[in-house]
Amino acid sequence: MIRITAICLSLGVALASGIVQAADGNAAAGKNKSSMCAGCHGIPGYKTAFPVTYSVPKLGGQHAAYVVKALQGYKSGDRTHPSMRAIAAGLSDQDMLDLAAYYASAAVLSASK
Amino acid sequence: MKKMLFTAGCAALLAGGPVLAANPVAGKEKSKTCAACHGPDGNSAAADFPRLAGQHYDYLVKALADYKAGERKNAIMAPQAANLSQRDIEDLAAFYSRQAGLSVKY
Repeated sequence: MIRITAICLSLGVALASGIVQAADGNAAAGKNKSSMCAGCHGIPGYKTAFPVTYSVPKLGGQHAAYVVKALQGYKSGDRTHPSMRAIAAGLSDQDMLDLAAYYASAAVLSASK
Repeated sequence: MKKMLFTAGCAALLAGGPVLAANPVAGKEKSKTCAACHGPDGNSAAADFPRLAGQHYDYLVKALADYKAGERKNAIMAPQAANLSQRDIEDLAAFYSRQAGLSVKY
């Protein structure tokens, strides 16, 4: 009985960790997919030109889960920025996870104040 | 000539007015509600809530204005932004944009 329970438990842990792994992004793969992003998000001080002018958001150190949620929002149309909608339309779920893992991995400075 | 310089100086001060109006100290005071999700300095602990620390001032202003106008939709942020004045938005953006956190990555 104890043995069966132990086997079930380890199976459960293995399955659970498998699921977590499948939902993880690969930062190295994300870097390779980020060339489209870098033209705006990778240039310090870069501003959008359309439809209104403001600085494109910094992504280095942003939470991966939030980046994925934002990209899904652009793909579904919940978020409306035209350039981001066009780019997100071509991203798979795995692309989003990989890009998010890449951007999240920047060293985040601890706040001094 | 002196008078002209004085006039030019006054004009420059007035033109700079709206930028100077954003007050990060007042923003910190107004950020207590935000801190529950975004962290005391905008470095949120929970991954679902975006880091705001170090984000561009004008992007933060735009995001809050869009939530307030209903152009950006979020069940949590809509009622929060609805109560903010333009001055509140600018103060909060001034506070968060001055904290250490996000960076430009490429």
